[in-house]
Amino acid sequence: MDPKPRSDDLGNPRVALFVTCLVDAMRPQVGFASMALLDSAGCRVEVPVAQTCCGQPALNSGDRSGARRLAQATIALLEPYEFVVAPSGSCAATIRLHYPELFIEEDPWLARATALAARTHELMSFLVDVRGWSPRGVALDASATYHDSCSGLRELNVQSQPRRLLAAVDRLALRPLQDSTTCCGFGGTFCVKYAAISNAIVGEKVRNIQAAGADLLLGGDLGCLMNMAGKLHRGGSKVRVFHAAELLAGMGTGPAIGEVP
Amino acid sequence: MSAVKKPLGFNARVQAALADPTLKIAIDRTIGNARTKRAAAMAQWPQFPAARELGRDIKDHVIAHLDHYLVKFERNARRSGAAVHWACSGAEACEIVVDICRKAGARSVTRSKSMLGEEIGLPHALQEAGIERVETDLAEHIIQLAGDPPSHIVWPAMHKTREQVAELFHRHHHTPLPLDTVENMVASARRELRSRFLAADVGISGANFLIADSGAVCTVTNEGNAELTTTLPRVHIVTAGIEKLVPSTAHAMAMLRLLVRSATGAEFTQYTTFHCGPKRSGDLDGPAEFHIVLVDGGRTRMLAEGLADMLRCIRCGACMNHCVVYRQIGGHAYGSTYPGPLGSVLTPLLQGLPQSADLPRACTLNGQCQEVCPVAIPLPTLLRGWRDRAWSTGIESVTARWALGLWGFVALRPALYRLASAWAVRVMSLFARDGWIARMPLAGGWTHYRDLPQPPKRTFMAQYRRRRARS
Amino acid sequence: MSAARGTILTAIRAALAHRRGGLAEPDEAGIAAEAELLRARVVSTRPDRLEDGAQSAFLRRLVSPGVGATAESVAQLADFPAAVRRYLTAQGLRPSVALQPHPELRALDWSGIETHAQISADEPAAVGLALGAIAETGTLVFHSSPASPTLFAFLPAHHIVAVEAARIWRWLEDYADAFADGVQPRNVNLITGASGTTDIEGALVRGAHGPGRLHVVLVGGAARDSNH
Repeated sequence: MDPKPRSDDLGNPRVALFVTCLVDAMRPQVGFASMALLDSAGCRVEVPVAQTCCGQPALNSGDRSGARRLAQATIALLEPYEFVVAPSGSCAATIRLHYPELFIEEDPWLARATALAARTHELMSFLVDVRGWSPRGVALDASATYHDSCSGLRELNVQSQPRRLLAAVDRLALRPLQDSTTCCGFGGTFCVKYAAISNAIVGEKVRNIQAAGADLLLGGDLGCLMNMAGKLHRGGSKVRVFHAAELLAGMGTGPAIGEVP
Repeated sequence: MSAVKKPLGFNARVQAALADPTLKIAIDRTIGNARTKRAAAMAQWPQFPAARELGRDIKDHVIAHLDHYLVKFERNARRSGAAVHWACSGAEACEIVVDICRKAGARSVTRSKSMLGEEIGLPHALQEAGIERVETDLAEHIIQLAGDPPSHIVWPAMHKTREQVAELFHRHHHTPLPLDTVENMVASARRELRSRFLAADVGISGANFLIADSGAVCTVTNEGNAELTTTLPRVHIVTAGIEKLVPSTAHAMAMLRLLVRSATGAEFTQYTTFHCGPKRSGDLDGPAEFHIVLVDGGRTRMLAEGLADMLRCIRCGACMNHCVVYRQIGGHAYGSTYPGPLGSVLTPLLQGLPQSADLPRACTLNGQCQEVCPVAIPLPTLLRGWRDRAWSTGIESVTARWALGLWGFVALRPALYRLASAWAVRVMSLFARDGWIARMPLAGGWTHYRDLPQPPKRTFMAQYRRRRARS
Repeated sequence: MSAARGTILTAIRAALAHRRGGLAEPDEAGIAAEAELLRARVVSTRPDRLEDGAQSAFLRRLVSPGVGATAESVAQLADFPAAVRRYLTAQGLRPSVALQPHPELRALDWSGIETHAQISADEPAAVGLALGAIAETGTLVFHSSPASPTLFAFLPAHHIVAVEAARIWRWLEDYADAFADGVQPRNVNLITGASGTTDIEGALVRGAHGPGRLHVVLVGGAARDSNH
């Protein structure tokens, strides 16, 4: 039905980049950084141009049939590839953990979802755990602190990998973030549906970020990063926010979130 | 709880909570302390993951054979001389309790802490029956004097400052001791309540565990009030949810190791007591009558409707202590006997989903609750289940359905999606200044509190296609 | 009432049958076997503890800040009254105690201390003899009986308790197993330290309703630590 996923002649895996709707609309640099990193890790990166959204908004709102429709479209689009990589813990977790839950046992889509799930990864965990890759010759004179986004952390065990990668960036000083594993209050539609609560949560997160005393805030999920960056900026903070992929790809000298190039 | 009027909706209660700096101080102090202590206790227990799996399995085993264990418990409890009553609903349970009190000619009843008692509205039922109710757990005593509902399942009076407590005791204690220190306040409560313990005709307690093979009821407390409540009066009544069963005392010990550390970070509470039947021949103290009221109150529905995992809950409170939402809004905002993640799962069942649909939604699904739960309840999954039910039964708002429907429609059509996203980033940029959007129609929820970073001139996909076209 | 019983059990059985999807419910022996397997797993889930023997571990936990009792050791039960006298003097209490009506306590020489069998609601001090203790948690064990009324452990402000070193169980389950086949007492009190509360601003205060002070006198502790 669909072509068997296979590497090219050099043994480099065909990897589909699932760029995510937030990166697509709000920060393309993250997409290009991801491509550069995957390329550097010996992958043949392709960007299926028909990709749109993994369906998380529908899933989290309880609209299972809407989520299922988007899942089917996404599975059909991505299953020809050997791997699927997303620069987002929440989107990768949606495909990896939640897609199979959308289909009942008798549904042939279940096998397809399960097969795709096994080949879908968050970007930084893919680089470390699957490709054994490390940045080389990347440097940045700055201090940074890292926020652990909840989906990546708790659903996909992404915690040590970003730190290992960032530790290999020359002259980048990593500072610990108090309560780095505590939610930032983004939660998808939560941050607008329950905005006052979200604000209180991110307010506490921002106080911890400022107390860390680092130049930069880094993370692996753009939604969380935008939430924290937006609150930091509203409060007049000078902390600059990047997706970790950008730094790893040597793009840390470019404009941070919200900075005009 | 049912006696307390809740005229405000969830959002209004949240607003009130967020606007209360005293509440925030109280929450941070109590909950922060609980988290720190729990973390310290778990750091000294490397076997916790294995113990947690065992706790989960013990509870799952009991749930899978719940009828068997209920019957076994009833048989053994009866054998010890206890009277066992069954109640389908909370109201029925209250009727049974009031009936026992009436038959005993009770004018005054002492109570030790029982969340189930709150859940079924027992305080209100006793009041309606003209029976004086004396709360003896210090926190419950405080909130009884204040007329407040509980705000946490382990520290129900956490929302009160010492000044507020001193003021309550000054007003209500018959001969209050000086109330300048917390020690003196506790001493005043001890003195005030001592005579009430002695005067009570009936003592009502909850149960942390029901021991099937002995018919004993286990209570886990710190103050000693549970024992005074259940030993001094002539009648002892236990109200317990049917899910509280464990097979034996040894199994209870495994659960106790998990419960106490998860709740307070201690290893064992001061008083772990197993109550089994009334006074025996030769006993110098103890109740002449021992009644156990087994309450369903929706638990069989949980079993039938995909919420069986929630029946594992041992009410430790760790989930709410680690919930970023609870930590900001406190317990009263939930408008239910049970706050926090466990409350957000239970309340739609107890109150009905239309009345409480905000609770499963007001959650970031971050999963820390599940991570700390000592019986590994998949709380985010259960909350998602309520969201699914809200959607499929049409509770979700029209605006939300419309917006999501539109998003889904566009997302299934890549060409249309590309057009729409290209258009959206251009429109959004109209509201931007120096890289940020401070205000934008339809984005009020975001921009009221935060700035929104300006989107790029062209989306990733547009840029990618252009680069590809060039090469 | 009995209608509710039938309704509840029927509903449970229906829900469980549905969950089992047609598989038969195990019989009583099968359920008991499952429960036993679970119980056996406890051994591998216990915290690291008790390397130095039950007695030392018990004493150590007893006086740890989390438990907050005080403790001393005497060679034999005959030395207990003297320990009580010392405690009362040190605490500035009158030499007058409620004495738990246990024959072994009654048989001791209480000269110099007024003892009475009736405990009052505001009893300053009560003297007791625990059935045993649990080392893992620093816990005293009381089983209610004519010789051991419950209220002796809960009414007084000071509770002074003797416990024999030979009757210290190592783990919580060891205590449970020791009585698994017997008749369940009316009241089992596992007492770990003095009464306390953190209900007002999280500040720990001792003596909320139960005794504010617990003093344990370990009897017959040997150089060789005792184990059960």
